[in-house]
Amino acid sequence: MIEVNYKYKLNNFLLDVSFTMPENGITVLFGPSGSGKTSVLNLMSGLGNDKNKENNSKFILNDRVIDDSVNGLKLEPWFRNIAYVFQDHRLFPHMTTSQNILFGFNRCHSELKPEVLIEKFKIKELLGHYPEQLSGGQKQRVSMVRALLSQPDLLILDEPLASLDYTSRQELLPFIECIHKELDIPMIYVSHDIKEVLRLADYIIIMDKGKIVDQGDIADLCISQPLLTQQEGASFILDARVTKIIEEDKLVELDCGETILITAESMRLNDKIRVLIHARDVSLCLSPPQDSSILNCVPICIDEIQTDENGKLRVIAKIGEQTIVSLISHRSARQLNINKGKQMYAQFKATAMIK
Amino acid sequence: MIELSPILVTLKLATITTLILLLIGTPLAWWLSNTSSKSKVVIESIVALPLVLPPTVLGFYLLLALSPDGFIGHLWFYISDTPLSFSFSGLVIGSVIYSMPFVVQPLQASFDMVGKPLQQAANTLGANSFDTFKNIVLPLSKRGFLVAITLGFAHTIGEFGVVLMIGGNIPEVTQVLSIIIYDHVEVLEYTQAHYYSIGLLVFSFIVLLVTYSFNRKLMVRL
Repeated sequence: MIEVNYKYKLNNFLLDVSFTMPENGITVLFGPSGSGKTSVLNLMSGLGNDKNKENNSKFILNDRVIDDSVNGLKLEPWFRNIAYVFQDHRLFPHMTTSQNILFGFNRCHSELKPEVLIEKFKIKELLGHYPEQLSGGQKQRVSMVRALLSQPDLLILDEPLASLDYTSRQELLPFIECIHKELDIPMIYVSHDIKEVLRLADYIIIMDKGKIVDQGDIADLCISQPLLTQQEGASFILDARVTKIIEEDKLVELDCGETILITAESMRLNDKIRVLIHARDVSLCLSPPQDSSILNCVPICIDEIQTDENGKLRVIAKIGEQTIVSLISHRSARQLNINKGKQMYAQFKATAMIK
Repeated sequence: MIELSPILVTLKLATITTLILLLIGTPLAWWLSNTSSKSKVVIESIVALPLVLPPTVLGFYLLLALSPDGFIGHLWFYISDTPLSFSFSGLVIGSVIYSMPFVVQPLQASFDMVGKPLQQAANTLGANSFDTFKNIVLPLSKRGFLVAITLGFAHTIGEFGVVLMIGGNIPEVTQVLSIIIYDHVEVLEYTQAHYYSIGLLVFSFIVLLVTYSFNRKLMVRL
C-alpha cells in the first residue's frame, strides 16, 4: 500500500494532497502546469524545501514509513529508495554512460543484473559515451536504466518525454511500458499530455491548484472525467481476454463481451489485456454493413448522448457489460435518429492499442 | 647580487597560504553557495573587502590585532609563547585574509554552476551529502579549484602593502620579493631591482599562461 498525505505551502497556494495509490502499475499524476505535480514528487522523494512545510505529512511506502510529521520522522532522500527520472535527465556530465548507470547500483545492495537492463534498453553501444555525446532520447533511456538499477521501491518519472521531439517520444514509450510489464515496480508518472496518459496509466490522479480533483481507475475516468473526455484523443478502454491467435493475419481475437479482432503480436491464449480505442475511430450504423474493410462490428445499446465542447456528440453505449464511446456529428445523429436505449452497431478498425 | 632567501620565503608563504585557504575556503564557499541564510551577503561582503580596501588599511588593523596587546596576538602568545607581529606566522595570517576572495569567489562560482539538480539526482540514487560532494561536486569543480589555487598563489606572491605593514623586513624570515625590490629601488640599486622584477614578471606570466591553457583543455572535456 502506498499512502501519501502532504500539506505544503507553495508560493501562491496551499498544496494539500492525500491519496492511496496501487502497489503495481503506473499511476499517472495529471493536471495543468503549475498545479503542484512536481512539488508532490519532490516531497515524496525528500527533495522538497522543509522550511515551508506545514506540520502535516505522512507517507508510507509498502509498510515503510518515509515521512511522518506527527512522530517527527523524515527520511533523507538517500535512505528512501525512491528513484527519480527527471525531465532534464540529470546525467552526471563527467561520467560515462556506464559510470552513470552504476552510480546508484553501487550504492545499494541490488540483486539486479545490469546486463539485462542494458540489453533491454538498447544502450550497449553507448556505455563508453559521455552524456554530451548522446541524443535526447538516448539520455533519457540511460537515465531510466540508472534509476532502475538502484532497485527502487518506487519509480518517479517527472514528464520524462516532455523535452523530446515527437519521434524520440514514440521511441521511448515502449521502454516505459517495458518497465511496467517486466519489472514489478510501482511507478508514479507525471504528465500533461493526454495521449501519454491514456496510453500509460492504470490509475490516475487529477490535480488542480494543489488539490486532487479526481482519482480512480483509468478505464472509469476516461469515460466520466471531463478533463479526459473533452480533449482530442479522448478514448475508452475495454478489458478483454485473448481467445484466438490468427498468426497469418497478425490478428488476435478477443472476448470483451463481444468478439473483436485486434492487430497484435506476441500474445498468448487467455492473456488478459486492456485495449485503448479512440472515440473518433468508432462509427455507428443501424445494421451491420455487408462489404466493409472494417473488421469489427459489434451490437451495442445506446446509454447516453452528450454534447462535446467542439460541437460533436459523444455517444456512450454498452457493449456487453462494458462501455464504448463514439464521437459523431449532429447531422449523423439526426440521420440515424439516435436516442437512448436504441440498439445499434459500432464499427472500428483493428488498429486499437494494447495497454 | 641576487639573494635566494627572499625567493624561498615568498614561495613558502604563497604555498602555505594557498593550502590554508583551500582548507578554509572550500567549506566557506560551499556554505555560501548553498545557504539561504540572511547573513550570506554579510559574509560575502567581508570576504570581498580586501578587493577594495587599500592594503595599508587592512595592514594597519592587522598590525593592531597581531600585536601582543591585540586580540589575535594575545591569544597566539598565550598558546605558543611567541609574538605574532613581525613573524612569518603573522605574515601567513595576513596573507590568508588578503587573498581570501581570490580563492573563495572562484570556488563559490563553480559550486553554483554544478547546481542543485545534479546533487538531487545523486541523492535519490543513494548518495548522501558527503558522497555527493566528493563524487559529483568536486570533480565538476576542477576548473574552479584550478583558478582558485592559481589566483590565491599568484596574488599572495604579489602582495606588498599588507606585508610592509605587518611583516617588517627581516631577512630570511619575512623579507619577501616585493619588499626587497622596494628596498633596492629606494637605494637606487636598479640592476638588482630589475633581476627580481623581471623574474617575478616572467614567473607570473608563465603561471597564468599554463593555467589558462590547461583551463581551456578542462573546458573542452567537461
